[in-house]
Amino acid sequence: MTESPFKKIRLTGLLLLLLLAFLLDLSTGTVNISLKEILRVFLSPTAADPTWQFIVKSIRLPKACTAVLAGCGLSVGGLQMQTLFRNPLADPSILGVTAGASLGVAAVMLAGGSMASLYAIKDLGLSGSWLIIGAACLGAGGIMLLVLIVARRLRDNVMMLIVGIMIGSMTLALISIWQYFSNPEEVKDYLLWTFGSLGGVTGGQLSILAIVVGIGLVVALFSTKMLDALLLGENYAQSMGLSARKARTVIICSTSLLAGSITAFCGPIGFIGIAVPHIARFLFNTASHRILIPACCLIGTILLLLCDTFAQLPGSQTVLPINIITSIVGSPLVIVLLLRQTTAHPW
Amino acid sequence: MTRYAILFPLLLLSCGRSDKKPASPGATLTSSAPARTQLKYAKGFTIDYFDRYKEVKILNHSAGSTDTLDYLLLPAGAAIPEGHAHAQVIRIPVQSMIVMGSPHVAQADFAGVANRITGVGDGQYIICPLVREGLRTGRVRQVGLEGSLNNELVISMRPGVLMTMTNPDAAFGGYTTLIDAGIPVLPNADWLETTPLGKAEWVKLMGALTDREDLVNRKFDSVEQAYQRLAAIGKASAVKPSVIIGLPFKGSWYMPAGGSYMAQLLQDAGASYHWSDTKGTGSLALSFETVAPVALKADIWLDIGDVDSKAAILARDARYEAFRAFRSGAVYSYNRRVNDAGASDYWESGAVNPQWVLADLIRILHPNSLPADTLIYYKQIK
Repeated sequence: MTESPFKKIRLTGLLLLLLLAFLLDLSTGTVNISLKEILRVFLSPTAADPTWQFIVKSIRLPKACTAVLAGCGLSVGGLQMQTLFRNPLADPSILGVTAGASLGVAAVMLAGGSMASLYAIKDLGLSGSWLIIGAACLGAGGIMLLVLIVARRLRDNVMMLIVGIMIGSMTLALISIWQYFSNPEEVKDYLLWTFGSLGGVTGGQLSILAIVVGIGLVVALFSTKMLDALLLGENYAQSMGLSARKARTVIICSTSLLAGSITAFCGPIGFIGIAVPHIARFLFNTASHRILIPACCLIGTILLLLCDTFAQLPGSQTVLPINIITSIVGSPLVIVLLLRQTTAHPW
Repeated sequence: MTRYAILFPLLLLSCGRSDKKPASPGATLTSSAPARTQLKYAKGFTIDYFDRYKEVKILNHSAGSTDTLDYLLLPAGAAIPEGHAHAQVIRIPVQSMIVMGSPHVAQADFAGVANRITGVGDGQYIICPLVREGLRTGRVRQVGLEGSLNNELVISMRPGVLMTMTNPDAAFGGYTTLIDAGIPVLPNADWLETTPLGKAEWVKLMGALTDREDLVNRKFDSVEQAYQRLAAIGKASAVKPSVIIGLPFKGSWYMPAGGSYMAQLLQDAGASYHWSDTKGTGSLALSFETVAPVALKADIWLDIGDVDSKAAILARDARYEAFRAFRSGAVYSYNRRVNDAGASDYWESGAVNPQWVLADLIRILHPNSLPADTLIYYKQIK
């Protein structure tokens, strides 16, 4: 099957839109900086005002790059889960990996009852944001291992889905216990973390996030055939010589890397993972993952960049947490698209 | 550990000193005519004196509400006067109390009655050696955090009063069981005050509860005079260094609003504070980007919380290296006197000794305006 030129045109159009959204995100913020100034920051750094340079290069650019990574990762993770479980409500957090990351963060932030242990960790030289990220990665990795062990024993993907949800809610219950016994300030810190943020990832952290998300995306691209086959049913996939268990393991690994790393660095960002695959299927009217994966990357990125732009409208000095915006902006969009949809979905 | 070893005698001094003095004025006060207390700064409560009792009202001034919580302070055994059916009754002088907040410990210490504290919310935040000693020997119990108090333990301890940190607006949701059991619950919301002297003046409530008005008034007057003298020096300073406060978290930077306690303190210390004209008494939630133009050029960076070294600041976010105050080393936080759990005395004795906090800030902002001395609560972050 050759891809129609029409789809290539759409992909190119989305790419242009992405560039525009990126520029828009760079040029909006609580501080007013003209487009000319922003260009000067990049083109002739010596002539630019050092304050504008700091804001654009150290605050806005890392944030926009994080939005690109998170937008790609979460949408592709969501697409993989929806296909694996053949369920339109699946998203990257459905396996409990996000909850695992939250558990790791809660363990660090809500360590009120055992301040001494926290000091012990700090003595290891791990502190600040790295401590939180490390804890989140450990939590997400632990849950991912658990899910993989279970996945090897289960034959049915639907059962796998239920087990994932069970593990997730168990993890959240553990966090709730922790919250119940913690100080209000600590709970507030944790609550702020759960609102999600694209703004805290800079420098070395951004590079690490880029590498992990990159690996997750490459694995996803290599799994397109498996995903396409899975859409036709597990029996059909097996008749094509595909081991369902192997496919499941590969897909779970990819999604866990994507969702786990993004949650570790940005906090849980909802909605993108569940909504973007639907938008991609609607725009491209295809079930082929060779098209859907790049499409999800582009749409997810555009959506998250726009949400970040909305989160910091000029005129106000405050930024709203990204999680609020993704749902408020995204939900109506999906509803409109679904209402206009005429063809049936492939699952 | 050496840090705490140095700190310890210093603390003994502050806590022990006030505890030795009092007995004599207290003894005369319990007789018929109580000493009067007048409030000059605090806005959150009133004390009225009547023939045989005192009346305390905790005011509820948030959200424009005019409700008050009424308390009758009655000598032990005295009958409740008529027309006060809705008021909670506290028998004075209070002989035992459970306190939920660090400032309450400091207030009791100020009034020389820290030995009457029989329970605290969470022991690990306590600095006062007398209370810590009590926790060790079991004389002082931990009753749990606000919102999840061990009601049975509190009731069995029969304290003369339970002091909470709750906002008077939301006061009694979780305490009805205790009030029904006859334990007076008093929101000691000094943290709602918007001036350092107003916050410190809550010691007078402690004075009224323990019939120690004379001692407390005298000590507060000297605090007030010291504060005013220092504020005159701070305000008169020709150079006003610019300051930023706090560390952002996840892209949001909480700056004290113009009407807040901290903004007042900065003004009295002779600092130039970018958000001093903003409305509100709480914090402003600002984006990193909004603060950045100010932060890049600010002379001094204050109150970064429990972060204890410049390396730890960078571990939070490497971008802070671009701040002028970071590069020049003018970063200060209130971590000089901390206990082994990392709790700072700034939140405890600092609440009733605003003159020491102000002196620290003036020494930081205007190094030559006061005689050279070590800082009390603040230290330079290196």
